[in-house]
Amino acid sequence: MTSHEDHRPEETVPDVARPETDPNPADGHVPEPNPPGRDFPAETDEPSGDWPGLSPLSVWADTAIVALFMVPSAIVATVVLVVVDQPLWALLPLPATGAFIALMTYLDMLRLRAVRYRVTADRMEMRSGIIAKAYRSIPRERVRSVDVAAPIHVRIFGLCTVTVGTGEKVGSGADQLKLEFVTAEQGERLRRELLRRAGTDDASRASTEGEDGSVDEDGVELARLNPRWFAYAPATTATFGIGLGVIAALIGANAQSGGHGWAWISERAGLPGSQQMADFVMSRLLLVIPLFLVGLLLSGVVVLLLAALETWWNYRLTREPDGTVRLRRGLLTSVSLSVEGRRLNGVVLHEPFVLRSVRGASVQAVATGLESGDDKKTSAKSRLSPAMPRSRARALGAALMRQEQSPLDVPLATHPRAALRRRFTRATFVTLAGVALAGGLAWLHMVATESWWEVARTIEETIVPIPLVVESVEATPGWGWFALAVVLGVLAFWYAVGSYRGLGHGLHPKYLVLRKGMGVRNTVTLERSAVIGWRITRSPFQRRLGLADVAATTAAGEGMYSALDVGLGQGLAWADEAVPELLAPFLERPEITGEAEGSRPTVLP
Amino acid sequence: MSNDALRLRPPNHRVDRRAVGWWSTQALSVTVGLTVIPVVPALIWEPVRFWFLVVAGIVGGVGLLITVVMPRWRYRVHRWEVTDTAVYTSSGWLWQEWRVAPMSRIQTVDTARGPLQRAFGLSSVTVTTASAAGPIEISGLDHTLATEVADQLTDNTEAVPGDAT
Repeated sequence: MTSHEDHRPEETVPDVARPETDPNPADGHVPEPNPPGRDFPAETDEPSGDWPGLSPLSVWADTAIVALFMVPSAIVATVVLVVVDQPLWALLPLPATGAFIALMTYLDMLRLRAVRYRVTADRMEMRSGIIAKAYRSIPRERVRSVDVAAPIHVRIFGLCTVTVGTGEKVGSGADQLKLEFVTAEQGERLRRELLRRAGTDDASRASTEGEDGSVDEDGVELARLNPRWFAYAPATTATFGIGLGVIAALIGANAQSGGHGWAWISERAGLPGSQQMADFVMSRLLLVIPLFLVGLLLSGVVVLLLAALETWWNYRLTREPDGTVRLRRGLLTSVSLSVEGRRLNGVVLHEPFVLRSVRGASVQAVATGLESGDDKKTSAKSRLSPAMPRSRARALGAALMRQEQSPLDVPLATHPRAALRRRFTRATFVTLAGVALAGGLAWLHMVATESWWEVARTIEETIVPIPLVVESVEATPGWGWFALAVVLGVLAFWYAVGSYRGLGHGLHPKYLVLRKGMGVRNTVTLERSAVIGWRITRSPFQRRLGLADVAATTAAGEGMYSALDVGLGQGLAWADEAVPELLAPFLERPEITGEAEGSRPTVLP
Repeated sequence: MSNDALRLRPPNHRVDRRAVGWWSTQALSVTVGLTVIPVVPALIWEPVRFWFLVVAGIVGGVGLLITVVMPRWRYRVHRWEVTDTAVYTSSGWLWQEWRVAPMSRIQTVDTARGPLQRAFGLSSVTVTTASAAGPIEISGLDHTLATEVADQLTDNTEAVPGDAT
């Protein structure tokens, strides 16, 4: 937030050039919100008149956030300089900060004057840029989503950011228009206007359903936050990870100080020395280890609960009368995301392993206009619900798709046993690698002399305040490494079975359904009419086993959804049935040869 | 796999025979480039000369093998077909890929030719859809044929209504 350059590249302008760019450098005041068209006399194609600008308050919001970060550090710097007896230097930080803030504010005011937007009957247009004038225009029929976000420092001023997504990837970042910031009222009006279209038939359908929601001026409520759902928030693999992360950060800081940090603390606090602590811990392992784990767990739980609270507070998912699906959530940053109903091509039932084991799930959208740079961001942006009970998530998914029989309930076909064999092969390789590694380590363990252990112990002592690892490793016999390898092997095979069981594909009259994953199991439903092509890939191993990856390409979501390791004939039949007539001309049914059909590749070298 | 013995039939047309030469040249230049990297230290650094030459030998050998095998293999796999309703291609050699895109979903059609392709009188036709799965590419077509295919595709696409998403 402190840097303006990160999302407004047109402002990275050399300082020299700036003075000439301001048409009116003497005035220091904030311009009016709706100046007449005379600001752009040179633009020939511009119909003069109603081009609203950003809210003048946005300069204040930006200045406030910059000041909030910079003034305290300037004060600290001043105090420090006074303390170390450098009175002349101490005069510097505050004026410098002031000048910097003034400069940023000035630039922001220029930006404010430059940005103008308007929504006409069939286009949304935006002008921006101080030196390099930019004009962007998107047809309204291309608008897929409107995202209204208000971080806390912006919300105080009654403002919000509006991001308009088009779902077209022309160049980098050209698929979005972003207004920073307009008043909340303007934002709401834009949201309504941009997504309103001839969608009245949707409205009638929307009001007939409503099994779990009431119809109000906002439309049908599909889901609303149930505070109990926060109990699912810590159910991730990250819970331990965050605790470990905190500890790793502390250890890192201690190592940075060469081990002196902890020594200093323990001296001040009168704690016993490292070696005594280690002995104490070793003598009470049964007590210390559980306490340690509980500590990790608790810190992870607290962090994740806070994060979930910030993200999902005030969560509401509604379908408005015109079919638009609207998501509202957020405690400090309130977010309102609207997706045009027609562009919501399906849902993802998202079940990461830990959440799955406590029977929880969350729902994501498969929609055009929600894409981001990579799949991970796309998935974060598409979240339509917090972690909630699985049955509730399935019901929500069904409500979103508006089908009598929920596509998520379609029975899924299993994939050939050969798919399991592939996964076993991979697990075998992992196990072999583990055994080889264990052998190497056990050998090192055997040849290690006392002096080696001494070195390792010294290194550990400078890094970790309570050295335990090297000592316990030394105490364990060499075959201990193989025990670890066995555990790894068991896990690998367990994972292989799980990921095979996760595979599945099926068809609903309107949707195709795909499921895969062990670590994260995703059940994807995709409207059959949204499929815009097929991609079939086969590796040499898959050709030998008669398998293939059959992927439906689509404009929505991640762009491609794939049935992994499906039998070739099985997968093609499925794809052919899902989108009739697309694949049919390219299929052939060879003379019946019994079971061997899949194992013969179509094109052999 | 109890059900159908369905298979994909290969698309109708092969790419131009000259594509074999083009792929061979590509593979050869990559091979030469990668082999030179370990040869340079071998020339200037006496003690490890043997090992670097061994590495260079392995890289060069594998590269030459690929240069000989890959283009011919590819030539057997790479095929394409344009019907009134769809574009259908197959490509790859070890890892093979079949792509189908309906006319109604095609957004843009381009032809492109790099310097090497031009030397062989070849062109690529790139067909883009709205999907993030990447464009469909028919590479190694005769230049005139590529232009014709692109023109035909453009005409066909314009004839089909829809906003391609």
